[in-house]
Amino acid sequence: MENVLSILFSLSLFYVSVTSRVKGYVAVLRFQGLILSVLVLLPFLKNFSIFGIILPITLLLVKVILIPSYINKIILDLDIKRVIEPTIQQIVFLLLVIATMIVIFISSSVIAQSTELNVIPFASGFSAIAIGIYIIIFRKKLIVHVCGFLVLENGIFLFGTAVASELPMMIELGVLLDVFVVVFLMGIALNKIRSTFEGFEVTDLGRLKD
Amino acid sequence: MNSLLNSDNILFTSAFAIQFISIAFLFIKDQHKALFAANTVLLIGLTLGLFSTISSALFSSAEISLQSIFFNFIRLDELGTFFLFIIQLVAIPTTIYNFSYLSHYIEENRSIKSFVIFYVLLLISTQFIVIANQAILFLVSWEIMSITGYLGMMLEKEKEEVQKGSFYYFAASHVLIFILYIMFFLLHQQTGSWFFSDYHLSFSTGIVVPIIFILSFIGFGIKAGFMPFHFWLPQAHPIAPTVLSAFLSGVIIKMGIYGILRTYLFIKPVPEWAGWFILIVSIISAIFGVWYALAQHDIKRLLAYHSIENIGIIGIGIGIGFIGSANNLPAVEVLGFGGALLHTLNHAIFKSLLFIGSGVVYQNLGTRNIELMGGIVHRAKYIAILFLIGSVAISGVPPFNGFISEFIIYTGFFKTANELKNFYPILMLMFVVGLAFVGGLAVACFTKVNSIMFLGSERKAVKHFYTSIYDYISLGIFALLCIVIGFYPQPFVGIVNKVIVSNFVSSHPSSALINIDWLFFTIIFSIIALGIFFLFLLKGKLEKKFGKRTSPAWGCGYENINPRMQYTASSFADELNEISKSVLVYHKKVEVSNTAFPLPSKFESHSNDFVDSKIVLPSYKFLSFLVMKIKFLSQTDIRYYIGFILIIITIYSLIAFLW
Repeated sequence: MENVLSILFSLSLFYVSVTSRVKGYVAVLRFQGLILSVLVLLPFLKNFSIFGIILPITLLLVKVILIPSYINKIILDLDIKRVIEPTIQQIVFLLLVIATMIVIFISSSVIAQSTELNVIPFASGFSAIAIGIYIIIFRKKLIVHVCGFLVLENGIFLFGTAVASELPMMIELGVLLDVFVVVFLMGIALNKIRSTFEGFEVTDLGRLKD
Repeated sequence: MNSLLNSDNILFTSAFAIQFISIAFLFIKDQHKALFAANTVLLIGLTLGLFSTISSALFSSAEISLQSIFFNFIRLDELGTFFLFIIQLVAIPTTIYNFSYLSHYIEENRSIKSFVIFYVLLLISTQFIVIANQAILFLVSWEIMSITGYLGMMLEKEKEEVQKGSFYYFAASHVLIFILYIMFFLLHQQTGSWFFSDYHLSFSTGIVVPIIFILSFIGFGIKAGFMPFHFWLPQAHPIAPTVLSAFLSGVIIKMGIYGILRTYLFIKPVPEWAGWFILIVSIISAIFGVWYALAQHDIKRLLAYHSIENIGIIGIGIGIGFIGSANNLPAVEVLGFGGALLHTLNHAIFKSLLFIGSGVVYQNLGTRNIELMGGIVHRAKYIAILFLIGSVAISGVPPFNGFISEFIIYTGFFKTANELKNFYPILMLMFVVGLAFVGGLAVACFTKVNSIMFLGSERKAVKHFYTSIYDYISLGIFALLCIVIGFYPQPFVGIVNKVIVSNFVSSHPSSALINIDWLFFTIIFSIIALGIFFLFLLKGKLEKKFGKRTSPAWGCGYENINPRMQYTASSFADELNEISKSVLVYHKKVEVSNTAFPLPSKFESHSNDFVDSKIVLPSYKFLSFLVMKIKFLSQTDIRYYIGFILIIITIYSLIAFLW
């Protein structure tokens, strides 16, 4: 079951690398959040406990509802153009993503021979980290950077579940809070940036350099 | 321990507390009152500290048992106490001079409160360095000392030379503390402890201990100003406020000596190459330090080079001590380290005297250039006499204190030659000649300083030469110490001997140091002094009888002598500077008109520092050139940085994967 979910997660990464609409990114974030919530919920279906349910519910709340709707709100409020502005062609980006994922999946299976880990969640998480960074590098819009950062964070989450069987719940919750605060601050910053700069592209921020 | 409330401990701790409290008095609004109150309280604290230091084990039978009060963080062993004594002894007259020095600034409507804060913190942190028994406390105190020294230097921060010179100091301190960190981490790694009392290493255990020794010599050597690392001294000393340059030259560079000696205690006995290494570096520092000094026109820069010379002499003593330690000769050890320690004390005294003397002159004339001074003896007779005492003492001429410590070092040379036959006598003879050469050049240099500055007639018109009572008290205390140690060295030699016997010499301490017949010196010096006194009486009598004939200074038979016809500082030293032109980077520029009708002619001479102009600045330029080569990596766009992070992560993962 974990493997199926991880593969679904990986497929969403392909979608995120070809879509040219900001809405698409938000939808992927929702989808990934849902997968992660289910993934965390799985162990607790076997032996149910009231504390075990806290993490999936919070995850669902933050990653599926709060953050995506907040980003949508920012897009509406600030009237950001709905298309992303890639710096390289989408097909090249896709090929880069595929190449990276191949390398990661193969090397993960090699690593798995010597250590105890779930190959597919591990490799999917790792890929998400790489692709989150790629999104930040190859896209110009600040709001897309936020999405890239969130993809990266999802990757770390998945990666964590694959490596250690269970991270302590408090740490997971803490990370969630961090991410939420970061996104929140980003929204505030974007609002402030609008009053100074015309666009929402990182190249504009280069003018801030001393 | 039941000695927690021992009266000695209370005295010791309260001395520090009172020094610290003096900062609070700066909240008084009127600057004059604030300065007076803070300085007085600081003086009380320092005096109490000096009393408590003198009442410690080193000086009397009573003991301060602070060992366990601060969880073993503080220890008053003999070496530390000796340096504590030096610090407090020098700090008291220097602080007295503060009264008059800073009131000049207050009259110019400048704020001096921040300077006083830095000065107090500097004093306290310096005292903490020598009593610290823990590496972290030591390093933190060291850093506070460096930074407050830097901040204090910025008193006249609007001047460009101040910014430049203090940056030299700051950069050198920065490099130094970095080296010290490595050194103490290595010590910690070797012993597993941060406490000095646990550091007992031996050279035979491997490569780490020699590395520790070299690092300590470089790190502490930068602070002390040994020759290849001295370049910051002549830049920083001239621009520092006089109070600070006196303390800097008198005490803070001695912290380097303290560090070297402290490290020696961790790793003793040392092999012989260490002794030769220090000996050679020191003799180079001594010779070239004094030679550079001779070429300077800036009085404070000249004194800074003399500090390098004297650090060289101290280093020679340490080198002899190391050789004694390598060959297990307690007599040589005692003489070498004894000379070094006593010279540390002596140099702290007369160098502070000279700096404060030059500060008094600077305040009245507004220049540090010797070429513009002259005839001060007619304005302030006693300042000239006090400065002369310091000059004689620093030149190592009897009957003052410089002679005593240099005499011990000379004795150390002969003792080494005597004990270690073989090829040693010839080598030692070379060092003796080198040290004698240094002494000769020092005499030449201070003849120049005294004659050009104080004698002759005024080159620059001075309306009013103002001296305050504080100047005389402060200079007087220093001069008195010079005379006392010169005429009656027994107690000081005894103290130094106690330090060495308890800490340095491992077995069968020798009494070579106290066996010298010091009483002879007292008698001979007294006879000389009496002789001079009677000559003066005779002179007075003869003058009364035959009258006094006066003529213009250095008139040499000319009728209308004017100040420009006098000897100048550069003409005085020209012959000697010509010899070592290339090393001194000594430039002369003469412009003489060769036309039918004379045009204005010009003469210029100045000396740059070899290490500074040929090594430090070019390597800095090379470094900045290299840095500019990779400047393209500095982009405005954050995406590039994330790309760099990705590349690094990939490389790391690859390495981890393939390992």
